[in-house]
Amino acid sequence: MSGRPTPRVILDEGTAPAPRLDFGWEVQVAPPVPPARGWSTMALIGLGAAVLVLGFSLLEAGNFVAAQFAQAAWLGWLTLAVATAGFGLVFVAIGRELRGYLALGTVDRARAAVARGDPAALRSALAAWQAGLPEGRAKPGDLGNMPINAACALVEAKTLAPIAQDAAALGRAAAVQAFAVTAVSPSPALDALVFGWRGIRLVRQVAALHGFRPGIAGTVSLLRRVAVDAATVAATDVAVDAAVRGLLSSRLAEHVAGEAAAGAVAARRMMLLARAADEACRVLPR
Amino acid sequence: MDPLSLLRGLLDTTEDAARALVGRERIRLAVTGLSRAGKTVFLTSLIANLIAAGRGARTLPALSDATGGRIRRVFVVPAGTETVPRFDPEAHLGALAADPPRWPERTEDFSTLSIAIDVERRTSLGGLLPERRLTLDLIDYPGEWLLDLPMLRQDYATWSGETLARFRRGVRAAAAAEFLAFLDALPADAPAEDALAKRGYTLYRDALRACRDAHGLRFLQPGRFLNPGPRGEAPLLWFFPLPEGARGGLADLCARRYAAYLDDQRSTFLDPYFSRFHRQVVLVDVLGALHAGEEAFRDTGDALAAVASIISGANWLERLLGAAPTRVAFAATKADHVPTRARDALAALVEHIAFGARGRAAQSGAAVSCHAVAAVRCTEDAVARLEGQAVAAVRGVLLQDGRGATIYPGEVPMKPPEPDFWDAGLFTMPEFRPPRLDPAGTSGMPHLGLDALLAWLIGDLL
Repeated sequence: MSGRPTPRVILDEGTAPAPRLDFGWEVQVAPPVPPARGWSTMALIGLGAAVLVLGFSLLEAGNFVAAQFAQAAWLGWLTLAVATAGFGLVFVAIGRELRGYLALGTVDRARAAVARGDPAALRSALAAWQAGLPEGRAKPGDLGNMPINAACALVEAKTLAPIAQDAAALGRAAAVQAFAVTAVSPSPALDALVFGWRGIRLVRQVAALHGFRPGIAGTVSLLRRVAVDAATVAATDVAVDAAVRGLLSSRLAEHVAGEAAAGAVAARRMMLLARAADEACRVLPR
Repeated sequence: MDPLSLLRGLLDTTEDAARALVGRERIRLAVTGLSRAGKTVFLTSLIANLIAAGRGARTLPALSDATGGRIRRVFVVPAGTETVPRFDPEAHLGALAADPPRWPERTEDFSTLSIAIDVERRTSLGGLLPERRLTLDLIDYPGEWLLDLPMLRQDYATWSGETLARFRRGVRAAAAAEFLAFLDALPADAPAEDALAKRGYTLYRDALRACRDAHGLRFLQPGRFLNPGPRGEAPLLWFFPLPEGARGGLADLCARRYAAYLDDQRSTFLDPYFSRFHRQVVLVDVLGALHAGEEAFRDTGDALAAVASIISGANWLERLLGAAPTRVAFAATKADHVPTRARDALAALVEHIAFGARGRAAQSGAAVSCHAVAAVRCTEDAVARLEGQAVAAVRGVLLQDGRGATIYPGEVPMKPPEPDFWDAGLFTMPEFRPPRLDPAGTSGMPHLGLDALLAWLIGDLL
C-alpha cells in the first residue's frame, strides 16, 4: 500500500460557497419531441382548393360589383350589399368552424400539462375549459388557491363525473334507438346508414356536454380522437359481439331472437361509443 | 412453518395467482439495508424517477429499454385505511432540493407506500387490451432493526454467548470496556433487580452506540437499543447479554425480556413486513465500510450474511408458496463517491462483502446480481494531483459549509483487500450537497445505475 496516495479531501481555494452542481438533468431526460407533422398533402390540397374557390369568388364578386357600379350607382350598392351579406355569412360559418375546432385544443393543452407535470399550465388550461362549459353545468370554481392535485380531484368529482354519467345516459338513449332501428330496418345498408348518423350525433352530443360545439372540421377531428380511444374498448366489443352471436346462433335461439342479436350488438356499440367520446373530450386523463 | 403461516401463505399465493390472471399483480419489493445505507434516499429517488418515467421522461433508460417503452403511467396509489405512516417522497425531495439542502434524518419508524405502474401488454394485441397494472409495495424502516431478524432463531443463552464473544475482541472490547467491567463484577446469581437490569442495559446500549458511531460497526443487536422507534425506551428493552454461568433472577428476567422483545418485534416488524415478498434489494454502504477499517468491513459482511439467512434463506415450502424472493440484488450505494472507473470495482467488492448473504439467497433459488448505484448523484468526475501523481477523484459541494472540494476516495479494490491495505488508516467521507433539483420532482432525480438495478429487479414483471 505504501507509495499510493491515501484518501483525502482537497478544499477549493477561498471560502466562498460553491454553487450546487447542475448536471442538466431536466434536459437529458426530457421526452423526445415528436417531429412536427406539418400539413398533410390532402390538407394542403383542401386548403388550396378552399383559398382558390374563396379567393376567386371574392375577386369575381369584386369585379362584378365594380361592373355594376359602372352601370348604375344604385345597382352597384345593391350588388355590394348582397355580396357582403353572402360572404359575411360564409366567414361567420368559417369562424364558427375554426372556433369549434380550436376549442378541442384546450383538452390537448390540459393533458399535455398533466403529462409534463406543469401545474401553472394546467391551471390556465382548466380555467379556459371552465369558461367554455355550458350553462347549468356545475363548475369547480376558483382553483387558484388549492394544490393542483386537489384541484384535479375537485374537477373530476364536481364536473367530469356528472358529465360521464350524462354521457352514459345519452349512450343508453342512442342504444335504444339503434336497437329499435336495427330490429325493424328492411336492409343492412340502411342499418349502417342509421347507425353512422346516430353515432356522429351521439359524439357531438357528448362533446356538447364538455362545452365543445364542433362544426364539420371539429367533428372530423373529434371522430378521429374517439376512434383512438375506442380502440381500447374495441377488444371488449369484439368479445361481446362474438359471445352474443355464439349464444344466439343455435337454430332454436335464432327463431326466438331473430335479428334482435344484431340489434343488441349495435346497442352495445352505442354505449361504448358514448364512453369513448367522453374519454376523448375529458380535460383530464382518467 | 406453523399451520397458521401455511394457511396465510396459501391464501396469499392464491391471491397472487388471481391478480396475475387479471393483470393486476402486486409485488412486494423489500428494500433492505443496514443503518445509514441510504434506504430512504433510495426509495425517494426510485419513486420520483419512476413517476417521471411514467410521464415519458427518460429518467430510467435501462428500465424503459427492458420494457420496450411500454410504461404508460406511474402514480402513487391513494391511501386506504392503513395504520402505518405513509412514506412521504415529496417531503424528502423537498428537503433535498431546499436551500440549504437537508438529507433525510435517521429513520425512526415504519412508513409504507405503494406505486402503481400501468404498462401496455407484451402481446401483439397489447394496444387493444386493457393495460396491465403492477403495484409495487415499498416500505421504509430503521435499518438497525434489521439485525433483530437473526435473533429470532436464537434463544437468550445462545445470543448472549455469541454477542459477548464478539464484544470481547477487537475494537468492540475497547468501546464496551465499561459494560464488560460491569458484567465481570456481577455475581453469577445476581437477583432480579430492575436497577441492575437498567444499569446493564444503559451500559450495553452506550457500547452499541459507540461501536456504531465511532467505529462504523453494523452487526449490533438488538436494533431497538440503537433506535427505539416511536415508542421510546420501554422496560421491555431493559436486558443485556449475560455470560454463560449466570443463573440467578437477573438472568431469568433478562431471558424473559429477551423473549418478549422478540415476540414484539416479530408481531410488529417481521410478520407484517418481512414474511413475504417477491423481490429484494440489499443496500450496502461498502465504501463507508472500507473507509472504516478492516473490522468494520468484515463486520458489515457478517451482518449481511446473518440478515440474509433469515430474509433470503427460504425453505422449499416457502419457495413453493411464493413467499421467497425470486430475485435479490445487492447494491453498493453512494457510488457517486468514487470516480467512474472505480464503480465496477465497487460492484465487484459488494459481491465479495455479501458473499455469505449471496450464498443464502442463491441456495433458496433466487437469482442474484450485484450493482453499484447512487440514488442521488452528488459529484462529478475530477482529477487530483497527489504526491506528483494524477489520480481520478470526484468533485462535489460539501454539505456543511457549501464549499467546493475534490475528494480522492482512495483505491477501491475489486476483492477484499490485502492486510497492508488497511495501513492507509481510516477516512471519513464528507457529506455532499445534492445537485440542483426540481422540488416538484417533474424530471425525477439525477442518479447512477438505478435504472439498471430496476431493470434487472422488476423488468421481467413489466
